[in-house]
Amino acid sequence: MRCPLISKTTLLKIGLIILIIVIGIWMFLIGKMHTVLLDNKTIEVEGISYVQLPIVEVQIDNKEKIELAARDRDLVEVTAQRHKITVYYTDKLFNEHKIVKKFKIPLGYDMVLISIPALIGETDVSDWLSEYIPPTAVVAPQAETETVDELGIDFSF
Amino acid sequence: MNKVKEFIKSFGWPRIIISLFLLSLFIIAPFVGVSISTSLSDTIVRFGMNGVMVLAMVPMIQSGCGLNFGLPLGIIAGLLGGTMAIEFNFLGQSSFLMAIVFATPFALLLGYGYGKLLNKVKGSEMMIATYVGFSSVAFMCIMWLLLPYSHPTMVWGYAGKGLRTTISVEGFYLHTLSNFLKINIGDSFLFPTGMILFFILLSLLMWAFFHTKRGTAMTAVGSNAVFAKASGIDVDKTRTLSVMMSTWLGAVGILVYQQSFGFIQLYMGPFYMALPAVSAILIGGAAVNKASIVNVIVGTFLFQGILTMTPSVMNSMIHTDMSEVIRIVVSNGMILYALTRKSEATQ
Amino acid sequence: MSSLRETKFQRILNTLEKNSVPLLFGVIVIFGIPLSGYSLNYLGQEIVVRIARNSFLIIALLVPIMAGMGLNFGMTLGAMAGQIGLIFIADWKIIGIPGMVLAMIISTPLSILLGWLCGKILNMAKGREMVTSYIIGFFINGVYQLIVLYGMGSVIPIKNSSLVLPRGYGIRNTVNLIKIRKVFDNLIVIKLFGISFPIATFLLIAALCLFIIWFRKTKLGQDMRAVGQDMEVARAAGIKVEHTRILSVIISTVLAGYGMIVYLQNIGTLNTYNSHMQIGMFSIAALLVGGATVNKANIGNVFLGVTLFHLMFIVSPTAGKNLIGEAQLGEYFRVFVSYGVITLALVLYEIRKRRDADRSGRLLAQNQMDQREILE
Repeated sequence: MRCPLISKTTLLKIGLIILIIVIGIWMFLIGKMHTVLLDNKTIEVEGISYVQLPIVEVQIDNKEKIELAARDRDLVEVTAQRHKITVYYTDKLFNEHKIVKKFKIPLGYDMVLISIPALIGETDVSDWLSEYIPPTAVVAPQAETETVDELGIDFSF
Repeated sequence: MNKVKEFIKSFGWPRIIISLFLLSLFIIAPFVGVSISTSLSDTIVRFGMNGVMVLAMVPMIQSGCGLNFGLPLGIIAGLLGGTMAIEFNFLGQSSFLMAIVFATPFALLLGYGYGKLLNKVKGSEMMIATYVGFSSVAFMCIMWLLLPYSHPTMVWGYAGKGLRTTISVEGFYLHTLSNFLKINIGDSFLFPTGMILFFILLSLLMWAFFHTKRGTAMTAVGSNAVFAKASGIDVDKTRTLSVMMSTWLGAVGILVYQQSFGFIQLYMGPFYMALPAVSAILIGGAAVNKASIVNVIVGTFLFQGILTMTPSVMNSMIHTDMSEVIRIVVSNGMILYALTRKSEATQ
Repeated sequence: MSSLRETKFQRILNTLEKNSVPLLFGVIVIFGIPLSGYSLNYLGQEIVVRIARNSFLIIALLVPIMAGMGLNFGMTLGAMAGQIGLIFIADWKIIGIPGMVLAMIISTPLSILLGWLCGKILNMAKGREMVTSYIIGFFINGVYQLIVLYGMGSVIPIKNSSLVLPRGYGIRNTVNLIKIRKVFDNLIVIKLFGISFPIATFLLIAALCLFIIWFRKTKLGQDMRAVGQDMEVARAAGIKVEHTRILSVIISTVLAGYGMIVYLQNIGTLNTYNSHMQIGMFSIAALLVGGATVNKANIGNVFLGVTLFHLMFIVSPTAGKNLIGEAQLGEYFRVFVSYGVITLALVLYEIRKRRDADRSGRLLAQNQMDQREILE
């Protein structure tokens, strides 16, 4: 293979760098952690009120089922963007329902909030899934845990 | 133009940058509310505190043993002297003197062993020196716990065994040198005459030594060991002498430091104490195998000046204390600069 | 019988002296284990964990030794690069194995840059490489602090405020790495005799060992060994000496970066301003304990060294407490031994270097006399 402008090795090096960048982006995508808040509170969407349920069971992907009472909120940590949510509930006529929905968390969202009543009420995805930005007070500063310094030398120079 | 170029080349860019930096700090100071008289006074005090330890670098550099990274060994001798002076209850002026008296035999003995060791590893002295320094500090940590000290101000209260980490020298030799003939100008300027005089005394002695036959022999060994040997100089003996001198000055140096600082720092205290002294003399223009008293004075003043001025001025200016980082970068950068030069010194 | 020939006794003495450091350590450890009272099972588990944790870093030291640069105290530069990678993935909340891989990818260009810088400076200080690399470590630590303590959060955007100091910029003293904690170690685990072995990590280390063995045989590896033996001869043979030396430092720094990530992944917490400075000292001490010298080190030294050094490290405090009644003494003892072993190894190396020249001269002379005897 004759490449008069760029040598074979340079081509190989460029190819390698591109490959590594691609792997890096891939790692970013599959490794990004998102926090999903599950809300069982009455919520208003475009004037219609979706009432909270007395009790509902929610499952994200194939993780443990979470029980939410009225006005409850729980938290699940997931990795990557595409997930499925399964909701089990019993309506006023004692019929059991199971809803399965697939959703995608936008990459930029660190934390998202899913409103279960809105989801059950068959609203648009954009209505029951929203970005959640914690109020700064909520982010409690971690206690400065003093890890055991292996040699106990106070490095000061 | 050529003369300026020559000057810059021999003085070295890093030193020029550092001097200009310090000068600019002094100029900015009054504009940000930092009093020049206090700063100057502080700088002079710190100069006196550290001067002797920087002076300790000279003999070993001159004799070709390199930068004395093993200064902690001398410091340990000084610590032993100081603690013993307190143990035997020598107060006031006599305390300082007795500390030196007690430290001397240790310093000379340790220096002798250290010197003999360095003679066996000619060419790689600096690396060995560093680790000898570290090992001895670590070893003394064990000793400070075990040695039979009993003076109540030094020993841990409840157990009664083992020395405390920091020991106050108040009542003993605190400020005995500094306060000797001290000059007070107004409220903020204190000139620690005693300490400075002591430093000048030691410097003069050093200068005189290097003009004796032994001294010139030492310089010869550092410049060209083969030539020196051919001239009949006992290279090994001269080197060992330089190490002993350096160790003794290190011992005295830490005592001078402590009498101004007010505390004896044991255990891991002396661990990194060689580095400031090494940087200071290098900033003053010394090279790895050539150093003069002028290097000591200029270097210590510049280095301590930066250490004093940076926190106060920078803090008032940008409300951030970057002094620690600046100290690290300046002192280590200076050492790096010296290590990468081909052996040459400047005035 | 000529007086120049080495007696068997002398030869035994010579071998003992060559391995004096590991032997000395072996003695300390043999006394220390029963004194400490720890069970062999506990010690076994601890050693397995530490081998998995530290080996990668120590193997990174082998390359510069091969190239004659001595002990690479500049490995702290790689450690810093690895740490910066980890800070970013902690900020971006990338977890698990992808997080680790991404951290490694981020650290690589940084390590290459730092390694190149270090190599260039070391080439300006030939003959004083070890001290210089030691000071470079401190110097770059200052730059690291500039970036991490002042730059991050202000000039470099950090999203996750729990990483940042209360004043608004600068990373905290400890960064929680719980999301990548032991992800690699726990990937494949085999339990044997009550000890759990992190097989995935061991496989990674084995891969690295294979890489080193292969590397030695490549042209670049041979070049490095030639440079390590004699710079001028290598130069005369047409090898680009300075270029090769810099490459050896770059490779070492990059590997150190990865090794630091493996190390921190096991510990689970990043001590932002301290871990990297101590890790250099630890790794070098361990390598020396394993019998390596300033100009000769192999993979066997690495594993022997980790085992002995860390055994000493674990048993010292308790042994000190049981022996003299003060655990603090044991702790100072292990600090002393750690530094002491480096001092001893350095001194022995220097003395032996001078004596070996002497000895080989003698052996050569003896050889010549033998030849003459045969001819007569």
